[in-house]
Amino acid sequence: MSTDTAPLVVTGTSRRRDLLGRQGRIGAVLLTLIVGAAAYGYFVMPDDAGKRRVGLPYESPSAAHPLGTDDLGRDLLEQLLVGAGTSLTLAFMVAAVTTLLAAIIGGLAGIGPRWMSATIMRGIDVMLVLPELVLFILAATFLGQGFGIRAVILSLILWPVPARVLRAASLTAWSRAHVEASRAMGAGQGWLLFRHASYLLGPLLVPVFVRTAMRVIIYDATLSFLGLGDPTAPSWGTTLYWVQVNGVFLSDAWLWWAGPPGLAITLTVVALALVGTSIEDRLNPNLQESR
Amino acid sequence: MTTLQTSTPAATSAVRRGRLTYLAGRIVEYAVVLFVALTLNFLLPRALPGGPLKLFGSPEALARLTAEERAQIATEYGFGDPIWVQFVDYLKSVVTLDLGTSLSDGRTVTAAISDALPWTLLLVGTSIVFTTLIGITLGVIGGLRRREGKGAFTLVAAIVVDSIPQFWLAMLLIVWFAVTWQVAPTFGATGPDGVTIAGLAQHLVLPVATLTITGIGYIFMYTRSSMLNVLTSEPVAHAHARGIPRGRLVRRHVLRPALLPVHTLIMLDIGFLAAGAIVVETVFAYPGLGRLTFGAIAARDYPLMQGTFLVLTLMVVLMNLIADLTYPLLDPRVRSTAGGDR
Repeated sequence: MSTDTAPLVVTGTSRRRDLLGRQGRIGAVLLTLIVGAAAYGYFVMPDDAGKRRVGLPYESPSAAHPLGTDDLGRDLLEQLLVGAGTSLTLAFMVAAVTTLLAAIIGGLAGIGPRWMSATIMRGIDVMLVLPELVLFILAATFLGQGFGIRAVILSLILWPVPARVLRAASLTAWSRAHVEASRAMGAGQGWLLFRHASYLLGPLLVPVFVRTAMRVIIYDATLSFLGLGDPTAPSWGTTLYWVQVNGVFLSDAWLWWAGPPGLAITLTVVALALVGTSIEDRLNPNLQESR
Repeated sequence: MTTLQTSTPAATSAVRRGRLTYLAGRIVEYAVVLFVALTLNFLLPRALPGGPLKLFGSPEALARLTAEERAQIATEYGFGDPIWVQFVDYLKSVVTLDLGTSLSDGRTVTAAISDALPWTLLLVGTSIVFTTLIGITLGVIGGLRRREGKGAFTLVAAIVVDSIPQFWLAMLLIVWFAVTWQVAPTFGATGPDGVTIAGLAQHLVLPVATLTITGIGYIFMYTRSSMLNVLTSEPVAHAHARGIPRGRLVRRHVLRPALLPVHTLIMLDIGFLAAGAIVVETVFAYPGLGRLTFGAIAARDYPLMQGTFLVLTLMVVLMNLIADLTYPLLDPRVRSTAGGDR
């Protein structure tokens, strides 16, 4: 592939790859910082951090409480750091389970027998008609709001989209010439998958993982914001729920109360997106186009 | 150029036959999806804790009922019937739009939904127009100018905008526009003097801004990558080699194929936006379907919940159908190759 055939018609140039590489690095640094903050909140701070009263209600930022305190005199910085841990743990856990589910189901739909493929795809079609957010709200209202339950609910509802992506990818991989040649010489499905297709499909799991983690962080925060969060664990969404309930944005306190958690959610998702797109961009473009 | 590969009469009739089978297949598919959606909706109140009696009263009221009263209600409303009889009754009630009575405010479910639906359609409709126009325009520009450095910047901007949680952006807009500068109302859909065009528009500004800003990023990225796909495709390279000038090349050979997948995406988006507007409608107390749904779930108002959920699901199915039916009008290739895998 030459890079300078035409000014308009271009294939992936080295310049673009560098650029996205830089974006990816920025994302990775950002993500490391957030993970570090989460680890600090989890390992260094006391167990009841973010839940204990440490000052007067509605304190403005001070040396002792850099982000002030909430309506119950709890430190908002503590809540922010503990919330990072909750958010990231949930996101990575659910993303891992969802990626696994999507890989198995999508893989079976791609390379399994025809009837199985058809059944799975119709099932996915039906799942995709149901509005996710409504399902989450329903489940959180009736099944409970604990960490484990939420992780299970999110995993069960989020797999269809990535499964479809991975199915398309496995179909493309399956029609590659070297795979077909190997199949013609009598190779079994398992051998084809691990020896000839895994290098094509494996890297695709990374963006699927990252995408899912992004969605989990947003959905989790949204549910908590709607008052469907785990009341025993401080989280970014829960802090913002109390902002809304207490009408904090009518005073100056919104700046240190509502600002940081929202910014934290945005930055985490941005960091994940930067890492995700940069990895995705380095993958074989042939597999991506065929969606 | 996208040329039809078939031209002989025999091939044309084969194509036509293929199109019919394709259409029939799609109709069956939709019927199945619709049936499953209705079944899930039928099962919803029966699957949630408390049993079907909760369709008729609040948990507190139900707790006061004696066993005999319960049995009487059950026979009266057919809960003793076999499940398929109940299902047929349910289908009848859906067709006749007789969806029961809301437990929280005594209106019929149909009335509550038809009060809320226009507001959501207004809110979602307005924002989808802005999102689409801005998102596609920026996406096309971003796709064409990707080598000029600005493309990378807009891509990062799109990622950032796409990552902001809706409810947080809504809060920020309230802080700035409603509290600090006091230029826009934050609450409801109409002003004190009833339905006026100015009042409607004022109340739409912040919710629409929230939905539009959070929606642009996705459409931008999708349009941009679709543009890039088409720009690197063989027909475009060929057209370029034929010496077609850049402007004409973009207008005649790039835009149409590039915007096809975007069209599908937007159609699907519209279906989901009504459900996605839950957050925005809640923050701005906008009297639409999303707020009604959330209120119904929070109040455990089962009949209303079942009704709103049905409407939200049907909207998605309908938009899928419209996307499917309009796609062949835009893409001549589908007319000839009779679909295939999605």
